[in-house]
Amino acid sequence: MRFLAVIKPRLHIFSIISIIASLLIILPLLQIVFGLFTPASDAWIHIRTHLLRGYLFNTMILIIAVAILSTSIGLFTAFVVTRFEFKGRQLLSWTLILPLAIPSYIAAYIYVDMMSYTGTFSRFFRAIFNAEHGINIMNMPGAILLFSLTLYPYVYMFSKSALEKQSASYEENARLLGAYKFRIFWRVILPLLRPALVAGTLLVVLETLNDYGVVEYLNIRVFSFAIFDAWFRLGDTAAAIRLSGVLMLVVFVIIFIERVLRGKKRYYMHVKNRPIKRVSLRGFRRVVYPGVLLLILSFGFLFPVLQLLYYARLTFFDVMNMAFVYLVINSVSIALMATLIIVFLAVMLANFGRKHDHILKRGLLKITNLGYAIPGAVIAIAVMLFFIDIDHRLYPIYRFFNPETRRLILTSSLLMLLFAYVLRFMAIGFNAIEAAYDKIGMKFTEASYSLKQTKLKTLLKVDVPLIQGGLVTAFIIVFIDVIKELPLTLILRPTNYDTLASSVYRYAREEMIQESAVPSLVIIVIASILIYWLTHRKKKVVSKDVRTN
Amino acid sequence: MYVQIEGLDFSYEKNEPVIQGVSFSMQEGEIVAVLGSSGSGKSTLLRLLSGLEVPNEGKIMIDEKMLCNRQQFVSCEKRNVGMVFQDYALFPHMNVEKNIAFGLKGYSKDAKKKRIETMLKLVNMVEKQHAYPHELSGGQQQRIALARALAPEPSILLLDEPFSNLDADLKMRIRQELRTIMKQTQMTSIFVTHDYDDAKAIADRIVFLENGQIKYEETL
Repeated sequence: MRFLAVIKPRLHIFSIISIIASLLIILPLLQIVFGLFTPASDAWIHIRTHLLRGYLFNTMILIIAVAILSTSIGLFTAFVVTRFEFKGRQLLSWTLILPLAIPSYIAAYIYVDMMSYTGTFSRFFRAIFNAEHGINIMNMPGAILLFSLTLYPYVYMFSKSALEKQSASYEENARLLGAYKFRIFWRVILPLLRPALVAGTLLVVLETLNDYGVVEYLNIRVFSFAIFDAWFRLGDTAAAIRLSGVLMLVVFVIIFIERVLRGKKRYYMHVKNRPIKRVSLRGFRRVVYPGVLLLILSFGFLFPVLQLLYYARLTFFDVMNMAFVYLVINSVSIALMATLIIVFLAVMLANFGRKHDHILKRGLLKITNLGYAIPGAVIAIAVMLFFIDIDHRLYPIYRFFNPETRRLILTSSLLMLLFAYVLRFMAIGFNAIEAAYDKIGMKFTEASYSLKQTKLKTLLKVDVPLIQGGLVTAFIIVFIDVIKELPLTLILRPTNYDTLASSVYRYAREEMIQESAVPSLVIIVIASILIYWLTHRKKKVVSKDVRTN
Repeated sequence: MYVQIEGLDFSYEKNEPVIQGVSFSMQEGEIVAVLGSSGSGKSTLLRLLSGLEVPNEGKIMIDEKMLCNRQQFVSCEKRNVGMVFQDYALFPHMNVEKNIAFGLKGYSKDAKKKRIETMLKLVNMVEKQHAYPHELSGGQQQRIALARALAPEPSILLLDEPFSNLDADLKMRIRQELRTIMKQTQMTSIFVTHDYDDAKAIADRIVFLENGQIKYEETL
């Protein structure tokens, strides 16, 4: 009876849906863990003896270099647009996010093309510098550059937001204590930016580890490449699972190191926030700083988009047919479905987690949000094994209804892909909504409960209007990510089901880069419009300190 | 007795007791102040009474209705307990009228309108019916929060540090006003405060809380 009295108040719509969703997310991941304990296959022994060290080395080189380069670009761009005043600053401050609208694999296809012997850049360099050959970017430095150019906006966004919130008091105090600009930057600004830099860089690293399109196209032998290789070329799922296990370990080590380094340091204090006044650029800086920003934007967004537009003009009528229209409908509808499911579940989970009153609950939420840290290749294996297992268990039921039934019903359905999207992108939706809830605190919700309103009515009438900014943010970010997603889509989509991303991949594989331009541009245009919306919509600020005297 | 609290125990996760064996009772219409320093557990006590927290042990009974014991737990939304939050928690996206109407479940449209009018008259804020919370002063927000809590005719009213956000002049005026309203409505009320003068000005009885335990009581 006592047990019931304790459990009952904690059983409600949020907890029930959250627990079911969490279990569904945890179960496939356990498949990977259990898979590690199966006997080693010959392929695995071969991989471990001859290839694993190379995969590890390449992966480490790639993520370290991408982290350094994209952090440098992101920090520099954020610092310039937040601290200096110059012509075009406002335009640059949001367009610098646009490279995020270009999936790394599309950037890879188009840059390899532009750098090839007959490509735009090579012809340009030949004309100017009389250079003989094309520029080869199908190597590690090329991959590092491509990832950095398309992923730096993560660091840029986090750093920009943190720099805008930094109070002028810190810098003024440092100056009063005799510090010069350089010292202030290294000793005050940069350490205060650390959480933002780490958060942005971590996303860059996770996205790099998740990628399959770029590394496959450039033939860079890193982990995601190896997992697909073991799975499809060697046909050895067990070896793919073991590789996934090692990759998950790498991810957790990275996250663990960050936590240890952070230690007990705090990077925030409640000080009266006095905004920093931007300094007008003078002399050569007036040209150089905006020029560098424009160059970064050009390489990250403008050049590839211009090239795609040119190719789209050449191939538009070849590509544009009913099949293409269905492709767009497929992409938008599945992204919409996945996004709505994710936002709904994220609201449930965020509500469930608002009172961190139990260690089990905290653990459950952490695991549920693990998906974003796990590369697509690993999730693909986990989800596929999970669905095959479910299909096997449900086979007698399928047969009861239809004796001629196929064995794999769910495994060949869209449900599997949707499930994988939810698993992978749940953390993004959850974090945006949790942040919105953090801003408003518990008081409005509790006030509603005290006024005899149910949990559902409170959610709809009080919480949702107050966190609508967070809901929109969650929706936009998740939608962009799903519509760009490649590895999961590639493996888990039903036969003959194509999306924009998978068709871009198919064209690129068949060396039909020009034909890939139209679907690529549709992805980029949708993502760009959403980014514009995200950066320009009016924000209704409702904070914990809403009370005004 | 109208309110009966027996052997209430509560701790957060770290197993450090916040409330230990708290027992007291109240008569109908009585105003009790729970006085204690910060961290003494006084706000937690209110959260336990309102059903926002689940006690580890103990019994809460109000108006002969068992709200919580070893076998049962009546959730917050079903307790019919009114609460005025420390920072008032007026819904910023609703105007005064809508804030007050929010808790009026099962009222007809006319009855709702009438009740809102009565409440606004009670707190002397009729002219602010259509104002939004950010357009009100601290004292006005507090009065609306009180009207909102009283509107659904709760069996008991809980007030969490109702004066902590008011400046000294306003506080003197408002606490007298508050006592008048509470007595006028004959509402059984518990309010927590760290200020002895507040407690003395409003309450019929003061309960002194220290480290989650009642140390002594003083009838005024």
